[in-house]
Amino acid sequence: MNVPSTTLAMMLADSRLPIGAHVSSNALEAALLGGLSPGRIGEYLATRMDTVARVEAGAAVLARHLAQRDQPLAALHAEWAARTPSRAQRRIAAVLGDGLRRLADRLWPGSLSTDAGSPRPLVLGAIAAIAGLGPRDLARLVAYDDAQTVVAAALKLEPGDPRQGTALVLEACARFEPHIDALAALQDPTLLPSAGAPQIEGWSEDQSVLPRRLFRA
Amino acid sequence: MPEPTTIVPAVTTESADGRRSADAPASAVDPTSVSTVSRPGAARRALRLGVAGPVGTGKSSLIATVCRALAREIRLGVITNDIFTDEDARFLRSAGVLDPERIRAVETGACPHTAIRDDVTANLAAVEQLEVDFDPLDVVLVESGGDNLTATFSPALVDAQLFVLDVAGGGDVARKGGPGIGRADLLVVNKIDLAPHVGVDVEQMVADGLEAREGRPVLALSRHREETVAQLRSWVLNMLAAHQAGLHEPQDPGPMAPHFHAGEVEPHTHDEAHDHDHAHQG
Repeated sequence: MNVPSTTLAMMLADSRLPIGAHVSSNALEAALLGGLSPGRIGEYLATRMDTVARVEAGAAVLARHLAQRDQPLAALHAEWAARTPSRAQRRIAAVLGDGLRRLADRLWPGSLSTDAGSPRPLVLGAIAAIAGLGPRDLARLVAYDDAQTVVAAALKLEPGDPRQGTALVLEACARFEPHIDALAALQDPTLLPSAGAPQIEGWSEDQSVLPRRLFRA
Repeated sequence: MPEPTTIVPAVTTESADGRRSADAPASAVDPTSVSTVSRPGAARRALRLGVAGPVGTGKSSLIATVCRALAREIRLGVITNDIFTDEDARFLRSAGVLDPERIRAVETGACPHTAIRDDVTANLAAVEQLEVDFDPLDVVLVESGGDNLTATFSPALVDAQLFVLDVAGGGDVARKGGPGIGRADLLVVNKIDLAPHVGVDVEQMVADGLEAREGRPVLALSRHREETVAQLRSWVLNMLAAHQAGLHEPQDPGPMAPHFHAGEVEPHTHDEAHDHDHAHQG
């Protein structure tokens, strides 16, 4: 299959992609229960763009770089895990990575270089390497998906004008844009951004033990 | 009170063929071609049996009943789907009818329907992992998160499916039809012991089900009536045998109620690929 990077990015960003990703709210459910006002979801997205989305996008770009050169991803996996201190976040990343791997096995049989249990950014990067998704599109895809996950969950948790949610997604993507150049140039796993967000990590942990949650993560 | 009419035909490929439309490919209508074509690997992995139906009709209880009736004879595993956490898995584990490690929960987020039909990824991953961890299994039961009358399993996830209604939900539900009621491999009318208390005529409800299903099997069930549990047990074993012999072809009950094309006598659904102009009457 030979399709342009843009088409691949659109496909991978489509919420209809069969990878089981609809179970995640990116911890929005716990955040709202923890006191985040629904009117501040835009700020939540902005914080995610400056922190966890950079870690995820950077890891994806690095995985792409390494996979293109047939280099192992274990060291990158460790660097990513060190910057993702919430066990709940690492766990959902592995679950969603597995869903993505299952899809990739069908689309590009035998080509994927990631191990079972690899987190989503690494699987995405490996897919980018074999399918021809460029580093900029890849980084933007991660940010877009991060924001869209939150907004789609918000429409179930605190339904409002859905058009407003779409506006928030675009604002988040614009917020992320200044990070693109630096992320796309990454080649050394040790230089993966260390942009932690303890509040988001805390909400991710809270989410994993919510007694009657709508979302798994 | 007269015993309700219960009809459980043996599992054959006829139920599949009965719903094929006249314009389906010839090879698909020929029962011999269906029964002689053994799907590769079909007999080697477990029968994946879906249990669907609205909330509160007794899906978890039915699975517990199947486990109680069969756990000593065949190797079972269970996947539950819950909208909220793992309530059903915990119920089944506490029922003590199966090794708790063989019961796993899949969280479906706000979309129980999606997880069994449009995007089966999480469920398929869970089923396959269970099959690996307890290899070999004979049957994996997959319980849907209770949804509405339109929610049925994709054949990509299960080989066969039961649709569960109960008398307490109202005697008229079977008549309403829908893909699960009309075309699941087995329709269960559950909790028939409650019928006198809720003013429902079980015989009529079963008759409605049979009419909606054009003769496909309907089972009137109560876990308190051994003879009905025995019928459920036989149905599962028959389906397992058909699966192992490669004689059972997974069917999609479809997302829609059956409908008619102009000039046709038989209703059909759109599970066979065909290209012609549609003139829907209703």
